[in-house]
Amino acid sequence: MIAQRFLSVIVAAGLLPVAAQAENIKIGFPMPLSGPASVYGVPITKGAEMAVQEINASGGILGHKVELLTRDSKASADEAVRLARELIIKNGVDFLSGTLTSAEAPAVSTIAKENKIVFVAPTAKTIQLTAPANLHPYIFRLASNTDIDGRTGASIIAGWKDVKRVATIAPDYAYGRDAVGAFVEFIRKARPDIEIVDQQWPKLGQADFTPFITAQMGKKPDAVFCDVFGGDFVTLVKQAAPLGYFKAINNRLVDGGEVGTTDAALALGKDYPYGIWSDAYDPVIWPENEPAAHKAYIDRLKAFTKQEYASGWAIMGYASILALKAGIEKAKSTKSADVAKAMLGLSFDTPIGPLTFDAKTHETAMGEFWGQMVKDDRYPFAIMKNPKYLSQGPYTQ
Amino acid sequence: MTDLSFLFTQFLGGLTTAMFLFLIASGLSLVFGVMRVLNFAHGSFYMLGAYLAWQAVQWLTPLLESFWLAALFAALVVAVLGGLVERLLLRHMYGKEELYQLLLTYALVLILGDAAKAIWGTQQLSVSRPPILDGAIEMFGTVLPLYNLFIMLAGVAIAVIGWLILARSSAGRLVRAAALDREMLGALGANVGALYTGMFMASSFLAGLSGALVTPIQSIVPGMDVEVIVEAFIVVVIGGLGSFWGTFWGSLIYGQVLSFGILIMPSFSLFSVFALMAVILIVRPWGLFGKPMR
Repeated sequence: MIAQRFLSVIVAAGLLPVAAQAENIKIGFPMPLSGPASVYGVPITKGAEMAVQEINASGGILGHKVELLTRDSKASADEAVRLARELIIKNGVDFLSGTLTSAEAPAVSTIAKENKIVFVAPTAKTIQLTAPANLHPYIFRLASNTDIDGRTGASIIAGWKDVKRVATIAPDYAYGRDAVGAFVEFIRKARPDIEIVDQQWPKLGQADFTPFITAQMGKKPDAVFCDVFGGDFVTLVKQAAPLGYFKAINNRLVDGGEVGTTDAALALGKDYPYGIWSDAYDPVIWPENEPAAHKAYIDRLKAFTKQEYASGWAIMGYASILALKAGIEKAKSTKSADVAKAMLGLSFDTPIGPLTFDAKTHETAMGEFWGQMVKDDRYPFAIMKNPKYLSQGPYTQ
Repeated sequence: MTDLSFLFTQFLGGLTTAMFLFLIASGLSLVFGVMRVLNFAHGSFYMLGAYLAWQAVQWLTPLLESFWLAALFAALVVAVLGGLVERLLLRHMYGKEELYQLLLTYALVLILGDAAKAIWGTQQLSVSRPPILDGAIEMFGTVLPLYNLFIMLAGVAIAVIGWLILARSSAGRLVRAAALDREMLGALGANVGALYTGMFMASSFLAGLSGALVTPIQSIVPGMDVEVIVEAFIVVVIGGLGSFWGTFWGSLIYGQVLSFGILIMPSFSLFSVFALMAVILIVRPWGLFGKPMR
């Protein structure tokens, strides 16, 4: 035992000079940095950059410095694939992370498979990414998925006993359709007495929601499941509020599109429809029982981005880099083949709690924080009251 | 189930959509009608109007809360920028193949998009409704937000003013003459260069103004430029390229088709407008109010 430890010290000492000049660990990071999706892509990239800076400041991983190669994927699957290839062939990256959407990630996943490079997808939610037909040893997903969005929304609305008429409104593409599909399936099981009275499908980037809203109000729903997110949600609220939409449903709206982040709350300011329910990967502002690690992380993030309020999306980039770090350290190797094996069943810590990659599904079963969005006099925008972490477990059975 | 007041609500919803689109599309139509320039960067001017209005509101807020002043400031700055673009860049493209104009204006889309990102970042921004238009009125049991009413009136006002200038003023006569034969007008001693700059500035002013006016009811995000230009083009094409009134009616038809399409087939909300465009292009390739190209 003692001899073994002694040996490892000698080995470590012997390796150190080599490690000091060791090659950098290169991580390719294609992410939308322009266009509408940059609202998410930029803060996620900032999170990843901060993780890399912190790792390098504390000596790197296994003595190697980390180098993050960020590229603008323009939220296009074709561009993301082209960049992933270029990063592997020209820049010789050891690992891939990044991509935002459910279009980019499955496309990049095939490149990762071809080149045997570990790929950690931070945010893509489509269940197709890790479906058995598409699963391979090198793909890992951090994010939640569309099933949990819909099912958690359904469980909240099912708890409102006097609700009988429910409507849905979601963007007209895979993400919205899948989430609403899961919602309808689950609410039918949980509350057979509830009737789905209306379903609206505005397009992504819809500039004018008025006719969608008036059509929905005409069906007189008691509650609404909504998956409109980001800038579209801001637009929806600004047009729906004066029409009396939120008043008509007593603000009983559940949004599974992360409009519980400070990003959306900040944009709407006092126009936020207080009282609705939503989710966030990171609530950022956590008035009660905030974990110390989270508080420290947010303080560092604010300093790193020089912003008054941190973004709720940065955590996805930050945690993706931490996942790779944990994988490399467990494998004691920077080779993708070794790291891919080490990541099966790997647990690692993040500022919002520990995550584990399931050895079978390659997913972390990461949940989201859900809660009611309320007014708080300490902030000029809505915050999430008692954020509650809901993971996939109870809802996917 | 669907009583009359509900249909009226839907009609008003369509009218709101229509007038919004008209505000944006009017400037696009103006420039195409006279100058035969398909200005892809019109959406970028609209986006700049929105960002500039937000910026002006931030600057003004401690002193006075004036959304209107901010909107006027935004429209004027965009008009000046439009004038510069016409003088320095577009001027060299007249009389050349239309492809060059398209490339130039498309390059502007990319440049202005990146510039906006560099200045204002990627965060979604928004502006609150001016307090005076914060409420809503009731009409036949239908709620109509005051701001939507204001947009409708602004749309009609721009249509009427635009028509008066084009059809009744001496400047309008020159503009119509320029649309028919630019060289002849120049030979007759009219300052065609100044006329074109003025037209382009007016068009940019309308783009900047409409961008500023949508900020209270829309989020300001990267990409709003490209999103809007497609819809504006649909409206201009339906109405007839180059016809100012055509654009007005095109907007009204677009709004109502979208609005009632949603009611009848909610699963295919966008199908109806594209179907409308396809049908019109088959029956009248030059649009409802346009003239066949010679």
